[in-house]
Amino acid sequence: MTEIALLAQDMIPAVRLCKKGKIKIKDPAQDRDLYLFLIAMIVISVLSFFPLDINWFKLVSRVPDIGIMFGKLSRLSLHHFDYTLIAFVETVSITILATIYSFFFGVLFGALASKNLIKNRWVTTLLSSFFTFLRAVPTPVWVLLALVCLGLGPIAGIVGLSVHATAFFARAFSQSFEDVPPEVIEALEVTGASKLQIFFSAIFPAALSMIIAWIGMRFEINFQESAILGMVGAGGIGFAITTSLQGYQYGVAGLAILLVFIYAYAIELLFTTIKKKFIW
Amino acid sequence: MTKIYLVDSRVKRMYTFFTVIVVILFVIATVLTRFNPFEVVASSSEVWNFVTTDFLPPTLTKPVPIFNAIITTICLAISSTFVAAVMAIIAAMFGSESISPFPKYAKLIRAVATFLRNIPPLVWAFILFSSLGIGTGVGFIALVISTFAFMTRAFIESIDEISEESTESLLVVGASFPQRVFQAVIPSCLQDFISWFLYCIELNIRASTVVGMVGGGGIGLVLFSYLKTFRYQTAAGIILIIAVTIILVDLLTSFLRTRIMQND
Repeated sequence: MTEIALLAQDMIPAVRLCKKGKIKIKDPAQDRDLYLFLIAMIVISVLSFFPLDINWFKLVSRVPDIGIMFGKLSRLSLHHFDYTLIAFVETVSITILATIYSFFFGVLFGALASKNLIKNRWVTTLLSSFFTFLRAVPTPVWVLLALVCLGLGPIAGIVGLSVHATAFFARAFSQSFEDVPPEVIEALEVTGASKLQIFFSAIFPAALSMIIAWIGMRFEINFQESAILGMVGAGGIGFAITTSLQGYQYGVAGLAILLVFIYAYAIELLFTTIKKKFIW
Repeated sequence: MTKIYLVDSRVKRMYTFFTVIVVILFVIATVLTRFNPFEVVASSSEVWNFVTTDFLPPTLTKPVPIFNAIITTICLAISSTFVAAVMAIIAAMFGSESISPFPKYAKLIRAVATFLRNIPPLVWAFILFSSLGIGTGVGFIALVISTFAFMTRAFIESIDEISEESTESLLVVGASFPQRVFQAVIPSCLQDFISWFLYCIELNIRASTVVGMVGGGGIGLVLFSYLKTFRYQTAAGIILIIAVTIILVDLLTSFLRTRIMQND
């Protein structure tokens, strides 16, 4: 065994041997960064437990209560089901409208922020950093601010969600637009096509499959976001869940949560089939 | 004049079909919510007034508690992601049909993960708040549940994608389940796992802010209390701090991700 290893070492200079005379199959320097990162990650994660003011024993001892809670929630009750259904439909409507409006704004601002369409560096940088800021603030904060400005109701939900979703789309779309190869744009430029023509007949169709994928992803997120809007004060299914939980009507809350789950799952299935069939 | 069709007529029909559906949904949703975009445009001067007089300039009256709160939020995100990642790796080993020692029950783990994932984190938080009371610990559990579900699903997908052949060849030579995990799955999926971990940290910084708003503590609760008491200038300051924190975390994670992926 050892002789073959030595022979291999003579013939191929890259082969190195361990102490036992075996051929090394791993270069220790190769994964050093990875292991360093893993160790640092574990250390930081363990350290991050200390500033948290949590009574762990009490928390763990009360975990069985979650099971009891699920027992209560699973006894579904049809009490006030019409209100739950109306709230649910409102949430779905908020999702649809926010997605549609932010799609149009997203295409507009995405085009204005993509470097291969707008040659002015100042405009693109300014727009993309502005949208980075909008995206960095969580959606419920925008909804709360919209509530202050526009009053209670679904309008604040739609506006607040649209702000965040527009920023998301602008970033995603401008990336997809920039991925369109420059030859395509050049080919149209030499024929004397205007900027708008280039956009609508070359860039937008080329990026369309990516755009559909982004819309699908955002539609799922938008539903989750609009389902929780009620919890910070806007209407919809979130409000129904909160009020029934706070009023100890667990059966009603359970049914509302089940509705949220079924809808989210159905949307997920729908978009995975769409993706499989039409895009990839 | 005859034209050459540039787009397949079937594809065209499909797009028309989708457009019609979207338009119908749009009309129904607009009627149901009575949302009028022009109303929003009409009230834009009020919004502008609010922003310029009540909201700006952003101020910070008590910097120390706000700083502490943001530390709590970051720590909550990191620790919950870590706990969820450890749990999710174990669950994914049993949940992936290609390597699980009990392939019959792999579907069960998948189903549980799908169920947990499709309920938003904030709904989890509310369910937990009403059974355990409010507090940072309960926010922690809510984040762990939703992150665990997301990661389990993502990890199972990476395992199924990468290591079908390598695990199969190890299975053929008679390797045990732990051997298959440590010799085939971990080496080939580790980078994917780390990439998902970093992504979940990004998500959870946002989620822990939001969960905090409804009673999980941290910067979210502080912001919520300032907004509810109409002290908008301080709220603006806190929103700026949240945005800066999230942008910094995003930059850091994307830097680390490119470093890890370069190693390949």
